[in-house]
Amino acid sequence: MRARAWPALLLAAALGWAVARADEPPGENKDLDLIPKAAQTPQAPAAEAPVLAGTTRKLFLENAFTQAWTRDGLLVPPPPPRPSSWQERLLFDVRDEWRVAGNVALNYSGRLNLRAQDGLDFPSHQNVTNDLREAYASWEPLERAFVDAGRINLKSGVALGFNPTDFFKTRAVVEPLSVDPVVLREDRLGTLMVRAQRIWAGGSLTAAYAPAVASTRAIYTDSDLHSFDPMFDRTNAQDRFVLKGSVDFGSSFSPELLAYHDNGRTRFGLNLTESVSQSVVAYAEWSGGRRAGLIDEALSFGRATGTLPAGAPSVLPLDPQQHFRNELAAGASYTTTETKITFNLEYHLNEAAFSRKDWNNWFLAGIGTRRAAGQLWYIRAYAADQQEPISRHSTFLRADWVDAFVPKLELTGFVDADLLDGSARLQLTADYYLSDHWTIGGVLLAEAGSARSDFGSLAQSGSALLKVARYF
Amino acid sequence: MNWPTRIVFSALALLAAGAALAQTAQEIVAATDRVRNPDQPFRSVLTLTEYVGGKERDHDVLAVFSKVDTTSGQFRNLVQYLEPARDAGKRVLLDGHSLWFFDPDSKVSVRISPQQRLIGQAAVGDILTVNLSIDYTASIAGVEAIDDAARKSRQCWHLEMKAANDLATYSRVEYWVEQGSFYPVKGKFYSDSGRLLKIVYFRNFSERLGAIRPAEQIIIDAVDTSLATTATFGESAFRDVPEGWFQRDYLPRLQIK
Repeated sequence: MRARAWPALLLAAALGWAVARADEPPGENKDLDLIPKAAQTPQAPAAEAPVLAGTTRKLFLENAFTQAWTRDGLLVPPPPPRPSSWQERLLFDVRDEWRVAGNVALNYSGRLNLRAQDGLDFPSHQNVTNDLREAYASWEPLERAFVDAGRINLKSGVALGFNPTDFFKTRAVVEPLSVDPVVLREDRLGTLMVRAQRIWAGGSLTAAYAPAVASTRAIYTDSDLHSFDPMFDRTNAQDRFVLKGSVDFGSSFSPELLAYHDNGRTRFGLNLTESVSQSVVAYAEWSGGRRAGLIDEALSFGRATGTLPAGAPSVLPLDPQQHFRNELAAGASYTTTETKITFNLEYHLNEAAFSRKDWNNWFLAGIGTRRAAGQLWYIRAYAADQQEPISRHSTFLRADWVDAFVPKLELTGFVDADLLDGSARLQLTADYYLSDHWTIGGVLLAEAGSARSDFGSLAQSGSALLKVARYF
Repeated sequence: MNWPTRIVFSALALLAAGAALAQTAQEIVAATDRVRNPDQPFRSVLTLTEYVGGKERDHDVLAVFSKVDTTSGQFRNLVQYLEPARDAGKRVLLDGHSLWFFDPDSKVSVRISPQQRLIGQAAVGDILTVNLSIDYTASIAGVEAIDDAARKSRQCWHLEMKAANDLATYSRVEYWVEQGSFYPVKGKFYSDSGRLLKIVYFRNFSERLGAIRPAEQIIIDAVDTSLATTATFGESAFRDVPEGWFQRDYLPRLQIK
């Protein structure tokens, strides 16, 4: 034994003496008292194995009642009809996958809605609607090489509040129960497409082609939905292509690059994420390409679908030139160490959207006259239908708190603020998990701001929703 | 305690210290890692049972695929939620710094941090397969007799571990490993500020994946001691896990077999 080991041995002997004096480290065994009595006996794994097949199935029945409040005295009143003041919905949501052969699977995702609301005839065909979100076949001819065909929800993007690279989001959201961008990603229709994907140890490549199979129709409202119409006009009114790939450079750096083409236009996209620490993840999502401004695109779409008169002049100044325009969502998530609240803070840029000058023009054109209201509000409806921010600069803060105050209560809240005028959309969601099968919850929404602001000029000032869900 | 007993204890401590010197702290941690984790890819079904105020409240069931990354020596994990029904199909990928969460409802993979709570009281880093010897630098704080979860006294190395890289979930860990068997007995996990966050006991040592391993952990929330979670491993089996599975784009494609 080396000489330098002796002091350590003597120290250990002294330590052993101390151990012998105390028999055990002081207080250490008191931790055993913290083990719940119900957990004192070791648990054997369930004798019956959990079902490993069918683990992608999700079925639930949900009832939701919404009460909404509207504003009076708007500077630019929207054209009739007024928004519904209440809505009652019962929905049956199904998602499942069936493996029909070793390398072939069928997927379905859809939601059947029973709906009644202020201003909607009852009974009518609109009381029953079915959202066919996905129905496709998946084939794996080679290991980790896939070919999918059918209606597929192809989604992209690493941000939460706005996804510039989620090219198939446009027009696809159907009657969401919440305006939370995370929920909007769930309540949307897939696109009829053929998709090929190859996944390697060092990356992946995906190519998809979505054919035009229907003509473009006007923007849907909650009073002109079709009962069992798959609404391919929303998702397949033009030929669309996307190619995306990611490369794993190691050390957690694996950027995703995208190229998207439709209607003679090509856009490029990039997704980046970086783990900053055990609690912080930073991310950025960008897309760019030549396009007209939002106002021009909205008016062109309105004229093409017959909502706006073909020869009607624009009530707002136009910028019909196609420019390279950027869309960006950049931010970070942070999780607190002890309470485990996760915050996401993002900055959003949409160069095609309204500038401060555009907002001034919008209010100037609409104040004191109802003649222009139809066109002005159509532009805002178009932006919402396209799932893009109407203001050029905005910020988004979202918080998610599991076991908030009491166990099994999850609180989620977000603020979507327009940086041009300081107005904001605020929403707070509470879900209480009564059991593995029952959840109750509520959603409060407020649109805050001055009368001459983005969110403060909306006809609806807020809403409250109560829901109960049964999972099977 | 009388003098002869003290002398015997001291002699035992000398022997133990000799063994400790023969085996470095890092070797002890590596040895106890080998008790908890096999060196081949495997799949387990993990049942998490939550207790609130001493009463069983809820449970989650997860399928976990684990495989050692030959470059780093650390495990990579793929997780799929099996129960409860509202979470069925959700998936998590942990590969080094990368932690991705896939929700089949939104059909997107979101990058999350290890601190983000996904399953009851347990952070992701608590329940996934991890080789502590890769992420922590250990030293021997002493040799102690402590009681295991069954209140049976065990002669243990008391190890003091500090985060060796930014992949470590906790900045400081105290760990008790039984001498001779290298069985993990207890762990205490601390925040950056030094606050005790979790206490973990290992128990139910039984034949699993080719060796005697702990089949259950009791995770006590030290911040709110009315909360505890047991994590029980079952249906463990060696299973090849191809490298391509650890790409985030594979998460939607994961098949539990």
